[in-house]
Amino acid sequence: MLLDLIPRKKPDVGVLIKKRDLPGLIRALSFRDPDVQSDAVHALGDIGPEAVGPLVLALKRKNRNLRLGAIGALAEIRDPGAVSALADMMKDPGSEVRWQAAIALGEMNSHHAIEPLLRGLEDPDKYVRYGSAISLVKNGYQPSGEYELAWYYAAMQDWDRLKTMESSALAPLYNLLRDTDSDVRVHAVQVLGDIGDSAAGPALIRSLGDADRQVRWEAALASQKCGVPPIYLPRGLCQRPRIQKNPLIAGFLNFLLPGLGYGYLGKWWGIMIFQIDITVTVWLFRAEGESNTYILLFPLYLLLAMHAWYLAKNMPEEPA
Amino acid sequence: MTLFHGFGSTVPDIGRLKDAGDIPALIHHLSNTDPSVRWHAAEALGTCGEKAVPPLLAALQSRVIPVRLGTIEALGAIRDLRAVSPLLVVIDDDTSLEVRWAAVLALGEIGSPDAIPFLVPLLRDPRRYLRYGAATALDRLGWLPQNDADTVYRLIARQDWEAVRRLGAAALPPLRDLLRDNDPKSRAMIVSILGQIGNPQAQMACQKALKDSDPRVRWRAVLAAMNCGLASHNLPLMVAGRERTGPDPAAAALLNFLFLGIGYNYIGKWWGFPVFMTYMSVLVLAQLAMGPFLPYLIAYPLTALFGIHTYYLAERMSDL
Repeated sequence: MLLDLIPRKKPDVGVLIKKRDLPGLIRALSFRDPDVQSDAVHALGDIGPEAVGPLVLALKRKNRNLRLGAIGALAEIRDPGAVSALADMMKDPGSEVRWQAAIALGEMNSHHAIEPLLRGLEDPDKYVRYGSAISLVKNGYQPSGEYELAWYYAAMQDWDRLKTMESSALAPLYNLLRDTDSDVRVHAVQVLGDIGDSAAGPALIRSLGDADRQVRWEAALASQKCGVPPIYLPRGLCQRPRIQKNPLIAGFLNFLLPGLGYGYLGKWWGIMIFQIDITVTVWLFRAEGESNTYILLFPLYLLLAMHAWYLAKNMPEEPA
Repeated sequence: MTLFHGFGSTVPDIGRLKDAGDIPALIHHLSNTDPSVRWHAAEALGTCGEKAVPPLLAALQSRVIPVRLGTIEALGAIRDLRAVSPLLVVIDDDTSLEVRWAAVLALGEIGSPDAIPFLVPLLRDPRRYLRYGAATALDRLGWLPQNDADTVYRLIARQDWEAVRRLGAAALPPLRDLLRDNDPKSRAMIVSILGQIGNPQAQMACQKALKDSDPRVRWRAVLAAMNCGLASHNLPLMVAGRERTGPDPAAAALLNFLFLGIGYNYIGKWWGFPVFMTYMSVLVLAQLAMGPFLPYLIAYPLTALFGIHTYYLAERMSDL
């Protein structure tokens, strides 16, 4: 963060503890030195229930480190009154904050923590899912039925057990296909293939358009185990994102700013041509005047634009 | 099998067009922006029977990939023998991998044994999707390998690595050949199998893999090399013969010599651009004060030193 560049005086946590300076300790949670943060968390934890109110208020602050620290302190205090505020933090946009909240809910030993943690099993982030699963066990949660068990195993990334759950595992596995970690998506696709349920067909065809090459390939193999007609697979693969360079952009750049079109295509010498062009143009302006310079350079720019367009057009596509 | 609901709801009345036998309109909808509409249109065309074959064969010439894909799917469903030759042309000439893959699978659906001699060579294609498609299509056509090499190629196409490994030395020639695969993960797997087979005949292939452009393949080759009888003290030299993927030291030096700062930027130093802008500003001011040429005479000996510096920086960057 830009504000972190501004030097701040290091808070003396020992003095703050002696003064029982709650606002000062809470401010210290946002200090970027992990030792200071950790000391402040423990100090607030030692203060106990008296600190819960200000800490819950601190959860609404914008500073992410401060929120993380406040959740950590609440986890140490273990006051069941903080469960509802921690449950709200399970909706925080920051995945570290949600993860920390899931871990804190695990320390509460309250049945009210179960519901937000069950929602945490469906989180798109693997850290939050994993933290939620561990915390559920700490709160004495027992999955009722195959469906809940499948979500739990998915969060724990217990691929072998998921395979044995068959169609009960489909919903959590579909959820894993949204994960940002391509390794998780690869595993989810493989397990879907091992289960071999034809209901997984549409999800696997969508995975053929995944951004990751290995996920796409595993989806092609898995879809065959799920009875997807092979003829549908190329259409799924066709949805994959392409990172091919646009010939028109390359041509346009090279016409207006000769050399930058080559740079756009990844040619290291593009910037060199750009600089040479600028230098030559300036000197031609001086020697020949404005209109003569344009007459001389315009056909050259056109040729360079066509060349960049041609290069981009013939660049090989990234292998599927 | 309903594979469509994953792609959203259908909008145009494909059912009515199908009932009316409006083949041109259905072909038109193969380029619809909604993937589910395209899919429905392709499936509807596949039920139109042999009267749809001539317009579909004409649609194979479309420049739009989804149109060609949908057309091929429909031809595969109609199973008219007139489509075999045009589909073979598509396999040879089309620029899209997905379209070629679909054509291979459609030939399997049509069921003409005439396609077999054209599909067998595709088991040796460097693209794993085409190999996999060819193996699937040949299975549907009831083809059985005529020799050991074809057996191995078919097993590799199906990704049955365990069976390939069990074949031992007999699998070596196809494995060596398919080190051409354009997917690094496939090449890495092939090298691992070569190492597990552990035959001195695999030495040349291992040496080639040690120079692979992908670091994972090179590492697998290092692990496999000893089993293939390569002396460990030769490995660094062989790896050093690889095509460099990092920045070119000569290019970095040239850029820094001519345009101080750009060379640093080229090797990934963010401060290269500020250095360049400072250099250019100083150069322009000096030209205003001393005339056009004298500043260059002073600058170039200096930038030559920076050029040498960048050369050594770039050379020390590891891309192992």
